[in-house]
Amino acid sequence: MMLGDFGTSYSKFLDLDDPGAPPYVVETKNLPQSTRVAWATGHNGQRRGDHFVNELTALGRGGAAVIDEEHFVLLDCGSRDIKFIEFKKNRLEDMGWNAECGASMGFTIELLEKYYDLDYTTLAVPEKTFSVTCGVLGMSHIFDAVVAGVPVAVAVAMFVKGIALNAYRFAKSPKKLYLSGGLCDNPLFVQSLPCQVIPLGRFLLLEGLKQAMCNNLRKSA
Amino acid sequence: MPAPHELASPLRNVGIVGVPPLEVIRRLNRDQVRIYDLDEPLVQSALETTAPFVPRVYCAVLRTVVQNALQLDLDAIFVDVGPGKCDSAGHIATILADVLGIPIIRTINEDQTGFGTPICDSGLPLLEKLQRITAGVACAAPPAKIPPPCPPTAAFWGVPPRDFSILRLFPDTTHVYGWTRCMENKTPADERLEGRYNPTIPTVFFAQSFCAKTALAQFLANRHPHALYLDADVAASNSTKAKIQAFLELSGVPL
Repeated sequence: MMLGDFGTSYSKFLDLDDPGAPPYVVETKNLPQSTRVAWATGHNGQRRGDHFVNELTALGRGGAAVIDEEHFVLLDCGSRDIKFIEFKKNRLEDMGWNAECGASMGFTIELLEKYYDLDYTTLAVPEKTFSVTCGVLGMSHIFDAVVAGVPVAVAVAMFVKGIALNAYRFAKSPKKLYLSGGLCDNPLFVQSLPCQVIPLGRFLLLEGLKQAMCNNLRKSA
Repeated sequence: MPAPHELASPLRNVGIVGVPPLEVIRRLNRDQVRIYDLDEPLVQSALETTAPFVPRVYCAVLRTVVQNALQLDLDAIFVDVGPGKCDSAGHIATILADVLGIPIIRTINEDQTGFGTPICDSGLPLLEKLQRITAGVACAAPPAKIPPPCPPTAAFWGVPPRDFSILRLFPDTTHVYGWTRCMENKTPADERLEGRYNPTIPTVFFAQSFCAKTALAQFLANRHPHALYLDADVAASNSTKAKIQAFLELSGVPL
């Protein structure tokens, strides 16, 4: 049985019939139209799965399964949006999904890396930052800074730090933050978050999807 | 405030905004006047047609009022501007009086006689609950059929949303609180009733974006031990719907 997390830029899959096989990633733009799975989540998941679980539910279930703490804040930074979930005493306390003001953050960060031929593993966290609430609108800060003589790499790093701070505030500025999504692999972004960060990788929604599926099967049994 | 029978010509079709006093509704019912609840989407035109008269960033319900008023052939509009509605309704009354050539009658509903809230506490689907409650605004008599009560597993607090589709996400065992409960009780200015909630069940505190009630919704959500505060504008986005689904499911509410 296949599980799929159909994100805007990347789709992630897990084959439950092959217990040893790790989850894998396919660029969404390269995904055949015919691709379907038994259980799906993600922006494009509704038309791809026999069963659909929305991303917030998958995030909550995944976090509760993987994080061994009664109280935690989990932030998922995707290509198109950011969302967080907070548990207290093993119970849902708060949540948020910013698809508007947090729009296209991950997508823009990747776009800039490719366009300017940068490597985020080599960029240092800058002292200064831009005030960024949206990937698209934030790009004008980069262009203005470059025109003013700031090196491109520094301007982009200030942009990434601005995005990280915005995401951190969106998650209500916790002391300790569990992070999921593709930006876990971006050291500049992770190090720009002003708190203890525990990256959980980009496959957490698949774990949540698995939990939701098991929960559903238990109910129907 | 002129009573319906004191207006120059007989009324056939009138609009209401908010919940006018029961006495007004009773007279309109007696005179067999057709009542249009302008708070609800009634016409097909685009909401954008209201932009020359009302800012785009404004309560979607009141923009809908203007949208309906521009399209419908009405003889008069009764706008409740009392504590049971909002200050913004008064401004909308001013605008409609300027734009339309019909009487715009401001009312202040301070009715205190409670009719009860059996629909709010029933096991009807939440969508049907709110449809029945909003339809009840145009009728002075209590509902003929009283649905039986059910034990709650979740609650919806707030005003009837502009987009009723979010109501489909809740289980039938959802009880209704907030201003919608006041509507059914026919006491829209009853602040004590509006502020009531059940702390033992997961509750979604909802308000229309740009409505003053967002402050009350968020305040009560902060006090409630297990709540989700939510606001939505014209149409509920996918993320809004996902928040409701996730909140109910992760709170263990049987769906």
